[in-house]
Amino acid sequence: MRRPARNFRFPWRSRDQIARDVDRELAFHLEMRIGELMRDGMEEDAARDRATLEFGDLDFTRRYCRNQDEQDDRATRWSDRIASLGYDLRHAARSLRRTPAFTAVAILTIALVLGANTAVFSAARAVLLRPLPYRDPGALMAVWEKSLAGSFVGNAPLSPPDYQDYRAQQHVFTDIAAYSDAQVTWLPTRGDPQLVRAAEVTGNMFNLLEAVPRAGRILLPSDAAPQAPDVAVISSGLFDRAFAGDADRLGKSLILNRRPVRIVGVMRPEFSFGYQADVWLPLDLTKDLADAGRTRKQHWLHGVARLRSGTTVDAATHDLAVIAKRLATAYPDADSNRVAAVASLRWWLVGSSSSGLVLLQGAALLVLLIACANVANLTLSRALDRRRDLAVRAALGSGQGRLIRQVLTESILVAAVGGLLGVALAYAATRWLLSLDPNALPGPFPATVDTTVLAFGAALAMGTGLLSGLAPALAISRMDLQQALREGGRGSSGGRGVERARRALVIAQIALAVALLIGAGLLVRSFRALDAVKLGFASDHVITAQLSVSGVRYDTAATVNRFYDETLGELAPLPGVVAVGAADNLPTQGEMGTSVRIEGQVNDEANLPDMGYISVRGDYFRALRVPLLAGRLFTNSDDSMAPAVAVINETALHKYFPRGAIGKRVHIGPTATGPAITIVGVVGDMHGGGPGDSVRPTLFPYHRQQAWQTSLTLAVRSRGNPTALTAALRRAVHHADPSVAIQDIATLDAVTAKSLAARRFALALVTGFAALALALATVGIYGVLAYLVAGRRREFGVRLALGATRRSLIALVLRQGLSWAAAGLALGLAVAAAERALLASSLYGVTAGDPVTWVGVVATLLGVVTAACLIPAIRATRVDPAVTMRAE
Amino acid sequence: MRRVPHEMLQGTVDILVLRALAGEAMHGYAISRWLGQRSDGVLTVDGAALYQALHRLERQKWVTSSWGLSENNRKAKYYTLTRVGRTQLRTEAAVWQDYAAAVARVLSPG
Repeated sequence: MRRPARNFRFPWRSRDQIARDVDRELAFHLEMRIGELMRDGMEEDAARDRATLEFGDLDFTRRYCRNQDEQDDRATRWSDRIASLGYDLRHAARSLRRTPAFTAVAILTIALVLGANTAVFSAARAVLLRPLPYRDPGALMAVWEKSLAGSFVGNAPLSPPDYQDYRAQQHVFTDIAAYSDAQVTWLPTRGDPQLVRAAEVTGNMFNLLEAVPRAGRILLPSDAAPQAPDVAVISSGLFDRAFAGDADRLGKSLILNRRPVRIVGVMRPEFSFGYQADVWLPLDLTKDLADAGRTRKQHWLHGVARLRSGTTVDAATHDLAVIAKRLATAYPDADSNRVAAVASLRWWLVGSSSSGLVLLQGAALLVLLIACANVANLTLSRALDRRRDLAVRAALGSGQGRLIRQVLTESILVAAVGGLLGVALAYAATRWLLSLDPNALPGPFPATVDTTVLAFGAALAMGTGLLSGLAPALAISRMDLQQALREGGRGSSGGRGVERARRALVIAQIALAVALLIGAGLLVRSFRALDAVKLGFASDHVITAQLSVSGVRYDTAATVNRFYDETLGELAPLPGVVAVGAADNLPTQGEMGTSVRIEGQVNDEANLPDMGYISVRGDYFRALRVPLLAGRLFTNSDDSMAPAVAVINETALHKYFPRGAIGKRVHIGPTATGPAITIVGVVGDMHGGGPGDSVRPTLFPYHRQQAWQTSLTLAVRSRGNPTALTAALRRAVHHADPSVAIQDIATLDAVTAKSLAARRFALALVTGFAALALALATVGIYGVLAYLVAGRRREFGVRLALGATRRSLIALVLRQGLSWAAAGLALGLAVAAAERALLASSLYGVTAGDPVTWVGVVATLLGVVTAACLIPAIRATRVDPAVTMRAE
Repeated sequence: MRRVPHEMLQGTVDILVLRALAGEAMHGYAISRWLGQRSDGVLTVDGAALYQALHRLERQKWVTSSWGLSENNRKAKYYTLTRVGRTQLRTEAAVWQDYAAAVARVLSPG
């Protein structure tokens, strides 16, 4: 018995071939039988009939055998293909191992850029692509009001009576619900009280979202009825913290704002609603609606609505516009010049972070393209070095298709390994970044590396492999391999096709790098402009902490005042403390606004002045080193018996008090009809809404006289290290009331930096991408030129021998490199001009056409490219003509 | 001895073919001759069943085929037992022997 050789196999057969083989085999059988019968003495015809009869169903057998063979053949083809793929992969791995430098550079390049792309994608997808954690989230709309004229031009939440009217009169939504973000103090059974973010929601909200709880039930309309018992639904996270996840504890109570609140439901971990809320409380609007005359001007409800199926956003906008007109006629005082606005809830939640992410992803993809070009160029250089090897293989019968496949397999293998490393990198980077700032992304959008992100990474790696392998593969297929064989693999170029491919790749790389550099340059310049904004206060040596007093004990201004007086009073005399103050919002954290009526001035009723409103107490301005420009600051005699006083900032002075502000009396509130407040001083401007915003005219009332706000942030200026005061701060609060939660203890430096953190981070990424792009492009142009010079050694030797100067040789090489750079530059500037519109919204203090950036980028690029070209150019002149010419 | 009816042969053709090829490579006609001789004419597999079995077995990779010259110098398709085919033959033969012995015991008089 001879065993067939393991790899020997009949070549694949066509359908016809199979049919012929089966027919021939069966015919042989019949002929043999006929011959036997004839040898036994039968006539030929009779023998044929007998043999056919004996055989059985000939037609069926023929069909059956063909069918079996065809299926067998198909299976064989597939296993052959897989086997040959395995062979290609093994061969590719072997050949890559022989050039470890190339392999390492290519893999590292791809790992870096794929990692960056995947990491950015995991964030972009979370924000832009992942559906909101509600049923049919596409139909969910945000509803708010827009004021076209008056004291607050712009967007505003709904007022309770407006909400009720829109809800009752609309025809386009299944329902409208509303919510408001809030904070509650939770008193755990053990440990310090904690501030917890909450959302107060109308009774229909959870039904509207079609939210499904993990355990228990959702909030229902009956929970929001007057006199309904105190209940709440909480997040999985809080439930696990409060009850250690013990499902039996459902129905038990938590102490929230000093009252026991029964927990009726726990939401699933992926559910989120409101600003990072862990508690959802029913919102009873009965009192507000009963006082509609006043509350129609109080805009604090965020509307959420679900579109009826078959209704469009346009139709909804139109429907609400009709109602808005009706409201404006019925309540001209509150609702004239107001319209309702509708937009998808996702758009509303994602807001401005989407354009930044699109920008980042775009930048990352540009870098990926550059990296592809680089790897393609490396592959080409390598292929040229291997021409002899390729030529031998071609001569031995490897078809052109086979050679192309081999090159592609190598590229894809490199990309796959690089991609694997890159995804690991992205995973680590994402976790690290989120650990730096868990709130970097808005709202309910967890950024995780999951299967979709992995699939994205894999697809990108595959694309990278194909893209970086295709150009070299095609160029090689056009190479004159016969000549390579004759030259012994020493020749300079791989033919015109290869040359053209290399030139195009270098030019494309430079163009992409220029486009990225200009984008990054503009962003850096904006950031500089932002940083240069004078904050108007000194953020060093200040520790801050947020306090919130709540519950029945703090129902009166007197108790609130006593708490803060005691706390501030205990801290002030401590050694090391320079000044102690408090405000309801620190600068860079935003502020409330109010309409203002100034006594003794003609006020345009439809257009009352609009001012920021920040309550302060204690030595707040001294603690922040805000200069007093006129008048006085608050004193101890400004107590609740004395006339109400306030301080304004410089911008308010210039804008609304052209003839001086000291002694002027103002009225505030939604209709600006509150009791009179006397302005006693003017302080310097602080940048309230973050350095990117312009300063708003602001009124600083004295909190001791307006103690209706119970949450304040302490600011304590210290002589030494501010964090050293943390323990003293805790002690002071604890002495005043041990049940008050302290939150967010941080230095003012940290608070201010945080307002820039997201920008700083995005900027660091884009700048990093741009630097990477420049480095890749430089390496690319250097590599191609160096190869070119090495290949033309002989020519240079001849030129030198014939009397060419070294200078002229350097010029020759430089001219070559710089002509590529110029072409890439022109192309890149065109791309950058096109991307200006995309960038405009992310810029501050510079225009997209900023000449410093554009000129700077051009100069940088030319400088770097010249340096990269100079090295091979100088090397070209180090040729010893005698040696090179003898070597041939 | 009487010839075994068609229905009884079904299901045993595969193992009989495998057994026939256990010695040397054979073409289809030789296999049918070998079976007839070895069973003294009791087991005569008709051509239809034989070739269906051969192609089925080839697809299962229990036999392989190649074209060769027959004893009378004509092109014929020869079948060879593969290694898996040999293993298969061993296991199936054991099962059949147990089965046949059991049937014989049950049918034996007394």
